[in-house]
Parts: sequence; structure tokens; C-alpha cells
Amino acid sequence: MTRPILEIVDLGMGVSFQDGGRRGWKRFGVPPGGALDDHACRWANRLLGDAEDLPVLEILLMGARFRALESVEIAITGAAVSGSAERWQTRRLEAEEILTFGQPSHGVWSYLACAGGFEAPRWFGSVSTFPRGGLGRPLARGDFLHASGFPTTPSSSSIGTRWVQPSERRDYRDPGMLRVWKGPQWESFDASTRATFFQARWEISAQSDRTGYRLVGPTLTTPSAGIPSEPVLPGSIQVPPNGQPILTMRDGPTVGGYPKLGLLDPLDLSRLAQCRPGQSVQFQPVDR
Amino acid sequence: MVSPSPAASPYDCRPPAPVNSRVEPFGPNALLVRFQNPDPDAAFLLIQALLRNLETHPLTGLIETTPGFHTLLFEFDPGHRPPPDALASLLDQLPAPTPSTHTLRRVVDIPVTYDGPDLDRVAAQRGLSPQEVVVLHSAPVYRVQMLGFSPGFPYLAGLDPKLHVPRMATPRPKVPAGSVAIGGEHTGIYPVATAGGWHLIGRTSLTLMDLDRAAREDPDAFLLHPGDGVRFVPVTSSPQPSAPPPATQ
Repeated sequence: MTRPILEIVDLGMGVSFQDGGRRGWKRFGVPPGGALDDHACRWANRLLGDAEDLPVLEILLMGARFRALESVEIAITGAAVSGSAERWQTRRLEAEEILTFGQPSHGVWSYLACAGGFEAPRWFGSVSTFPRGGLGRPLARGDFLHASGFPTTPSSSSIGTRWVQPSERRDYRDPGMLRVWKGPQWESFDASTRATFFQARWEISAQSDRTGYRLVGPTLTTPSAGIPSEPVLPGSIQVPPNGQPILTMRDGPTVGGYPKLGLLDPLDLSRLAQCRPGQSVQFQPVDR
Repeated sequence: MVSPSPAASPYDCRPPAPVNSRVEPFGPNALLVRFQNPDPDAAFLLIQALLRNLETHPLTGLIETTPGFHTLLFEFDPGHRPPPDALASLLDQLPAPTPSTHTLRRVVDIPVTYDGPDLDRVAAQRGLSPQEVVVLHSAPVYRVQMLGFSPGFPYLAGLDPKLHVPRMATPRPKVPAGSVAIGGEHTGIYPVATAGGWHLIGRTSLTLMDLDRAAREDPDAFLLHPGDGVRFVPVTSSPQPSAPPPATQ
């Protein structure tokens, strides 16, 4: 059974359903999708005692507002809001209460989980929509969001306030050195270009989204020979002819013809995802 | 629309060509197999034979395989990626491709109304009549080399070199779903309305991606799979998919 628990009062900069993403569909050109910061997404579900990859709401920066249609247990993780104690812990939202996502001081994506998980249409096993490719539509103001399972009553089944231990909360002001593996075309880039990539500080461009994060910095020299399109992984560091790298994210294309200098370590993809436009990042080679 | 048995095609009965493959690591969890032979037909056939062998001889921890033009990506669960050499020898140990594995998976007939907005321009550019473009485009059995760009978008190999045209410098902001297009040395079909830089020469009413089946995780959500053959069948008159029914008094 499902029931509506939240109404979208305002989309703000953007809200979408996400989960652990899909696997096994890349050969048909379907990107994996899923929460960009899987670390924060998993913790939101864990806080509520739910399976880690249940559907959550992924909220971009600020402005989203929700109205609770009934009393409901939720957890919020991700982007930090200064002065707010609401992140990285559970809380009960009372019926008719308005939940507002304000301007985070650092980080980009917030995750909102509800007890039992949200219920949303799935495409190829994931609630992650991909409107550009015909899979689902973006959420809209006025949409009712459903939870699976039966309602819980505050008295009988409140799970109380739980929080994530501080060591597991990430400081999104500094992603640390991001680890990069050699990409398939590593040898095609000249040695000084490879050195430049690791020496430079790269700024996250405002032209960044779930498809890819663009990096602004020194112009890299691209190999002269083009490559026939080949499979791309999330985290791939592609260098198009303008010499400014694009870091493929989870909605990025499954195949591509730009040379790939490197691959961001999968465990660091969530750290990069929380870097906002204007923030600078630096990479180091994986030591093997 | 699917032929009951694989039709004869130039790719059917060719003896296996020698193909050198190289296995490269791609991060901690993936291996990329690169087929060195410049003959795209040989690489295609070997990739398809490999994929079929893997269906009957699954590798431990293998999550998914994604073909490119000359490449096949193997993704493993974290901690399960074998060393590159081990995958290379595993691939060597798979049953050798036989002539029977060197056929297209199946051949799908796709009815096409050749009335695309770029048909006349492409014809003029190549010194052909529009009718000649239609004849050249509908003659071959194409191979679904890979799917990408958008879900279900097939990169079809086998386009007559007389129809090779560079992609448009400025992509169209919106290409209608079902558009049959050519770009570079490939032809393809847009499954959904997206931006696109290929030249539109026709349209099909077939659904390339079935969303009801997508909801059920049914692989047949996709009309075309990697390794399929495709034949375009010209149809002379077909109503515009969006045309309103004729008015009645």
C-alpha cells in the first residue's frame, strides 16, 4: 500500500527522486542514475532503519518546500545549513508542517528520506528519472509524493531522534585530494599535460549538472587522433577539444568519443558531487 | 516486424578474422577490452560472440558489459575485478567462436516513410536524387553496433559511403521521436524527442523504447539490442503520427 505524505509546495532549484541507481542497462544506452552523493543518501535511509538504496528525494541547493500531509518520520542528510541542527538526524514532521530547504553554507545536494521509503515509478529498476532520454518527467509543484507501507503513529512507533556520528558527516568545504586512476587514453596525452592536470587547481563550472561537472583551469592539450565512441563510466575525466575537462556524472552518456585522461575513484565521486560552482578541487594519482 | 530467421547478410558467413584484443584496467572495478583489428566487422562479430559466450559462462562478480565500436567494457562488483591478464585468459578459454556464432542476433524490419526535412539537402550534397538516397539507405542489412547517446538510440553500421555526410555543425534543439537519420558513417533512429545533430531523412512509427516494459525491467522494452541486424523498408504513404483524424461532418 502507498499513501501520499508530502506535497511539493515549491521546487526551488530542483528536486528529484533518486536511489541506488540501475545496473545492467548501459548496453542499451541507459545511464545508471542514482543519488550523486550516495554516502549521504545511504545515511538518510540508514537513520530510519531502512535499506540503504530506498528511494529518497535529492534536493539541489535551496528553495524547495514541502507540506506534510500526515505526521511522518523523516531524515535529512547532505548539504550543510548553518545554524540548523536538522541535518544528519531523524525528526518527525507533523501534519500540515512546512519543511523548507534554505541556503546551504556548503555542499550542493541534500537528501530527504521517509520511513519505509518513497514510492515512485521505476524505469529499468530505478526511480531515477532521465527526462532528456524519455524516462519519466521532472517533479512539479503540487505533486503529491507517496510513501510505501502503512502510516506510523507518533505514540506507538516513533523511532526517536537518531543522528549520524560526527566522523561520518562530511565537511563539504574541502573534498580533500581527489584520487584519479589512469584513463583509457592516458598514454595519448603528453607528459606535460598529465602533469598539468595534477598540479592545477580546477574550479567547478556553473555549467555542471547530473550529467557532468565541467572543470575550469589551464587548457589541456588533447591528443590529435580522435577515438571511436567507447564506453564511459561515471567519474570519467573526458577532455573535449577545448581542453577543459568534463567529469562524467551518473546521468552522463554511456558512450563517448572524447579522450579520457582519467577516472575519478568511485569512492570520491560523492565528494566531488558536493563541490559547488566556483569551488576549486585538486586531483592526485592513485598510488598504484 | 522481426524476421523469423536471420536473413542472409554480408556479415553472415564470413570466416572469423584474426582480432587482437588487449585488456586494460579502467579504474578499480572495470576492465576495457579493446579489439585492435581495424576491421570493424571483425571486431563487431567477436564482441557479439563474446557476449553470447558470457551468457552461458558467466563471470563471478560481473555486473554488466557495455559495447563500444571497438571495445567491450566489463564492470565488476567492488573487489571482484580480476587482473587484466586473468580476464584475457578467461576470454581465451571461452569456446571458440564458430561460424554459427558469426551471424546477426536477428534481423528487424523497420518501416520508414522517407520524407525527412533533410532528405533533399542530403541528396543535393551527395549529387544524388532523393529517390537514390532512399534506395541506397534501404538496401543494406545494418548492424546495431552499440546503443547510446540516449536510451535505445542505435548506432547502425553499414551505411553506404555515398551517404556519408558530416554531422550538422549546429544540432537541432528538438528532433521528433522516430526520426531516421544519418550522421558521419552511421545511420540511426531517435527513440525519443531530443536535441540532435544528424540529418533527418525519414521517420518510423515503431516504438524503440516501450515505457510500460521499462517499468517491468523487460529487456524487450528496447526494439533493438546490440548485435541485431536492421533493414529499413520504405513505405510510400503513412499518416503523420501527429496528424489529427480527418474532420467529419
